[in-house]
Amino acid sequence: MKKLLASVVLMAATPLAIAGGQLHLFNWNDYIAEETVTAFEKSCDCQLVQDYYSSTEEMMAKLLAGASGYDVVVPTQNAVQALIKQDFLQALDKAQLSNLKNSDPGFLKRSYDPQNTYSVPYAFTTTLVGYNEKRLSELGINPGNWSIIFDPAVLEKIRGKVTVMDDAEELFAAALKYLGYSINDQDEKHLREAQKVIMKAKPYWAAFNSSSYIKELTVGNIWVAHGYSSDMVQARADAEAAARDFTINFVLPEQGAVLALDNMVIPKDSKNKTLAHQFINFMLDGKNAAALTNEIGAGNPNKAAAEFIDAEIKKQTAIFPDAATLARLETIEATSAKQRRLLNKLWTEIKIK
Amino acid sequence: MQQKSWQQRLLTLPPMGYLLIFFAIPTLIMLFASFRYTGEYGGLAPWYSIENGTLAFDLTLENWQRLFETDIYLRLFFKSIGYALVTTLLCILLGYPLALMIARSQKKHRDLLLLLVILPFWSNFLVRIYAWMIIFSPNGALTQMINSLRDLLGLAPISIMYSATAVITCLVYVHLPFMVLPLYANLEKHNPALLDAAQDLGANRWRRFWRITWPLSLSGVYAGSILVFIPVLGMFAIPDLLGGTDGIMIANVIKQQFVESRDWPFGSVLSMVLTATAVLVVLLGAKIGQQGAR
Amino acid sequence: MTRKNRLLKLVALGAYLFLYLPLFIVIVYSFNDSKLNAEWVGFTFKWYDKLFQNREMLSAAANSLIIATVSAAVATVLGTLAGMAMHQYRLKLLPGLVLAPIAMPDILMGVSLLLFFIMLNMSLGLISITLAHITFCIGFVALSVQARMTAIDRSLTEAARDLGATPWQCFRKITLPLLAPGIIAGALMAFTLSIDDFVITFFVAGVGSSTLPLQIYSMVKIAVTPEVNAISTLLMVLTLILITLTARLYPGALRS
Repeated sequence: MKKLLASVVLMAATPLAIAGGQLHLFNWNDYIAEETVTAFEKSCDCQLVQDYYSSTEEMMAKLLAGASGYDVVVPTQNAVQALIKQDFLQALDKAQLSNLKNSDPGFLKRSYDPQNTYSVPYAFTTTLVGYNEKRLSELGINPGNWSIIFDPAVLEKIRGKVTVMDDAEELFAAALKYLGYSINDQDEKHLREAQKVIMKAKPYWAAFNSSSYIKELTVGNIWVAHGYSSDMVQARADAEAAARDFTINFVLPEQGAVLALDNMVIPKDSKNKTLAHQFINFMLDGKNAAALTNEIGAGNPNKAAAEFIDAEIKKQTAIFPDAATLARLETIEATSAKQRRLLNKLWTEIKIK
Repeated sequence: MQQKSWQQRLLTLPPMGYLLIFFAIPTLIMLFASFRYTGEYGGLAPWYSIENGTLAFDLTLENWQRLFETDIYLRLFFKSIGYALVTTLLCILLGYPLALMIARSQKKHRDLLLLLVILPFWSNFLVRIYAWMIIFSPNGALTQMINSLRDLLGLAPISIMYSATAVITCLVYVHLPFMVLPLYANLEKHNPALLDAAQDLGANRWRRFWRITWPLSLSGVYAGSILVFIPVLGMFAIPDLLGGTDGIMIANVIKQQFVESRDWPFGSVLSMVLTATAVLVVLLGAKIGQQGAR
Repeated sequence: MTRKNRLLKLVALGAYLFLYLPLFIVIVYSFNDSKLNAEWVGFTFKWYDKLFQNREMLSAAANSLIIATVSAAVATVLGTLAGMAMHQYRLKLLPGLVLAPIAMPDILMGVSLLLFFIMLNMSLGLISITLAHITFCIGFVALSVQARMTAIDRSLTEAARDLGATPWQCFRKITLPLLAPGIIAGALMAFTLSIDDFVITFFVAGVGSSTLPLQIYSMVKIAVTPEVNAISTLLMVLTLILITLTARLYPGALRS
């Protein structure tokens, strides 16, 4: 029995040893193209090992809980800020990043890392509304407004067919926008108001869901989902590939929404910093960056990628916001422990009642 | 005598040492953490500081106060206990006949029948939840069937996915073997002569069951109930995957404190309350069990 | 002793259906040629094919096997000692320590161990998972061994001692062989518990130490492909083989 087990273990473990070492990437789920992974592994003769997270909080919790050994992490801007303050990040060696010149200057030198000492932009997404075009047009509902998620009068017609993100920051941001406040409004009164909006709408929602709404939209179980733009692009493509009798589309609500700028960083305790730089440089290459947009549907902060990006996607203002759209978007800022506690309390109240 | 205590130590110390280090101490650490402050970015703040050469302790009751600040956490506890009770009851309703049937079948079949109960329990727990996700999905056969039936009756279609029904069905499914095994172990030991005697005395089937089998099996029922009740109380994956907007249980909030909110002290407070609840349930169960056995 | 009771049989049959129908559905869908677990499209092996090309899955499987083997081995030794001690001596602390981890909800052990490892500044990974798994496996082995000890006739060991056997000889030649089914059942239980554990692992896992249940959890949560069905089916087949093998080799082990 033991022998049998031992041999099974050995058999299973053998293909793991690979010459060029391993790069441990901690990334959002569905946030890198499969072909990019293979291409990178070929170029470095190494293995890319990925762990995934589905919210910033989850990623921070894992890192702070001592999950050491990641070589590259892809945090959103507010998380970058927090990680820098925690002295968690390795300063990047720009000499090893020859492709940094490809980055769009508009996305560099932002307030969370003014000199890009620790981070370089990876991709960006917006948090918006994905919807089943056929169902909504049948019902005559306009998806381009946060009321589709928060207004009971609208929700009445799509009860049980809506999911919102299981993420306090994102959901409160949307509710604050619906109320006409800033996403980063920390006034307790306004937050309470947002909580009320959420509570009123909650009975109409099917679930809080941050991870499987792609599938739910594609299957047709859910007609409206609050989620990341890149995921909605996927849902649309999946529905098309599965030849469903409806189409999935997405729209930025007119009140404005969250823009999330995701960055590549190297934790201080990375064991393979050269390889980590190699990976970042690889992802900054125009063609590889373009795959993020073409395959994943993320917005692209890379100038050199422009020529490789499908014209069809480029036209989408939800993915590539024009100046007017950009003005309606806000990024979430890092919060203090006290602010988090308040938000957490409001969030728990929502979940329980 | 000397030798005996040497042997005793050899047998006792290694497992005891291991469990002290990896079970007792972590639990105490958790208790301690419930009095500490949260770090600025999550985790724990240092619990002492030295300022001007004097040692100061940075401990607080704030986390415990928060528990009683509103009634939401207590309500959540009661809700979770309610879920656990319903699940336990359903497990008894479904598991008792099953265990009885196995115990009363021919001896050569018993092992196989019992194995058939345990077998699903050995497939991964998440796989079993996943199976129900498929079944409950609005496009799944079950939902379609129910809804076409409701349609015939002129009722509006319902959705089972993301509801309390879905959560409890899955809870029962996952924990049923925990009920059947102790029940079977108990029922199997019953002396059939007792039932025969009762029959000879003219007791009908129901009477025989309620007057003989049921009282004798009570200790099995208690054991099974504890084995079901406690894990259900600490379950977060099922409400997480199948629960709707109000489907969460206490363990979800604990997980939320440790994973999403990074508020470990408050997570520790909730964990300690859950620990106390579990201990209470076990003690209560043991006490009733003892009385029942008498 | 057969009592014909139709109602009883009917409910029991229903219970079996309830137990098996979901698993049956998983197996069927693992051969469905559609990315969405909705309607039946056609028969295919492609999800299995994809699975065997999925390195993350394979490495998670390897992690799971390594962790389960090591923790089952260590827990079996410690649990056997504990089980024997609990049978032979009137102890106060040990039975409590052995039973408490079984009685506590998993999540509590998960979070307290997380705090413990962080306090020790230990990086989370295979080692932390294995240490945690040993902790919750000891109790099950101990109980299984203790139950078997009760069934062993004390006069056998006493006779051996009277005939001049040393305690060690007595243990080696008499107690251990008699105890074997209990130990094996305990070890088997520890192995399956470890390979199946999700909750505790969820909290104490770190970089690159993803186990199969963790991998399945993230797949189930995201629910992108029927690969989940395929891996589930394979896991079921694996446990089935494991059980049959044990039943063949040690016919007594499963019963205790």
